[in-house]
Amino acid sequence: MTSEQPRMAIPLPSEMADMLFSTTQEVFTSMLGSDIQRVSAPEAERSTPFDGVLSLIGLAGALIGNGALVCSAEAACDLSSHLLCTEFSQVDEEVLDAVGEITNMIVGGFKNLLESHVGMLQMSIPSVIFGKNICTRDAKADVAVVVRCAFPGGEVALTVRLAAAPGTMCRPVSKERLENSAGKPILIVKAPVCKIKEPGTPVDEG
Amino acid sequence: MKTEPPNLLIVDDSTAIRKILLRVLNQTGLELGHVLEAGDGKEALKLLEGQDVSLVLSDINMPNMDGLELLRALRGSPRWHDLPVVMITTEGGQARVQEAIELGATSYVRKPFSADLLRDKLAALLSK
Repeated sequence: MTSEQPRMAIPLPSEMADMLFSTTQEVFTSMLGSDIQRVSAPEAERSTPFDGVLSLIGLAGALIGNGALVCSAEAACDLSSHLLCTEFSQVDEEVLDAVGEITNMIVGGFKNLLESHVGMLQMSIPSVIFGKNICTRDAKADVAVVVRCAFPGGEVALTVRLAAAPGTMCRPVSKERLENSAGKPILIVKAPVCKIKEPGTPVDEG
Repeated sequence: MKTEPPNLLIVDDSTAIRKILLRVLNQTGLELGHVLEAGDGKEALKLLEGQDVSLVLSDINMPNMDGLELLRALRGSPRWHDLPVVMITTEGGQARVQEAIELGATSYVRKPFSADLLRDKLAALLSK
């Protein structure tokens, strides 16, 4: 008996970074009334300890992972001041709530764009952490993108890490290929990857 | 006889969004009654029990009872079956919008939103 593991076409990391920047820009423009500039090209995620605010939202569906926003305490206060039209000089519960909501809008916008390629995704409510020497560790992801942005009040880093859900494989393909497959099933390649033998015997990966 | 100004209910687990919506409501220039706030669908139902409300603004993604469950509960109740409910949410995918509309949402606003557009939409709904 042969079981088939579907492979799913997803956007290339550079295209995901563009999607993430575009949703970030939309949130900054419409909710914060602030300009934003991308300060570096997409790059692999760095896991160095940092001081500041980390806001994290889980994603689940055909892809599983998370989206995160990282910024300094000063940047978090500035973002919150713009969002709520109230001056904040230190990180408190209101600032953490505001940063969580900004993350929610950015990751939510990104999720909406990604859903046209991978189907519906579920999103968790945000978890926001404020502290010093914060270290993070993520399990291996199929796609990890980081977008760093500067705005008048500081910098923010947006990160998305995604992996194929159990039973699925994903393969980044170009925008052109994705667009050409529009309207067709998102599972574009099927390959036998697992041969199941008699019950109780080891399974060969292939 | 003077009619009472309408009471409103904002349902969102984010206090930031509740504050922003309050600001937008105050900018409509309409005379409003009480603006109640709830952090999730369960709290919203409790508040609705004790107060007549003319319009509900609700998020979707919330703990305990989300916005779609709240909508389902309202539409299943004779008392609130026709109560206008505007969903204000980051969940902007077509399938989710469709689900909310099928459940009986009066209108759907995607976050991030333009304060001007939201103000006009709310003013139009409250003037009816």
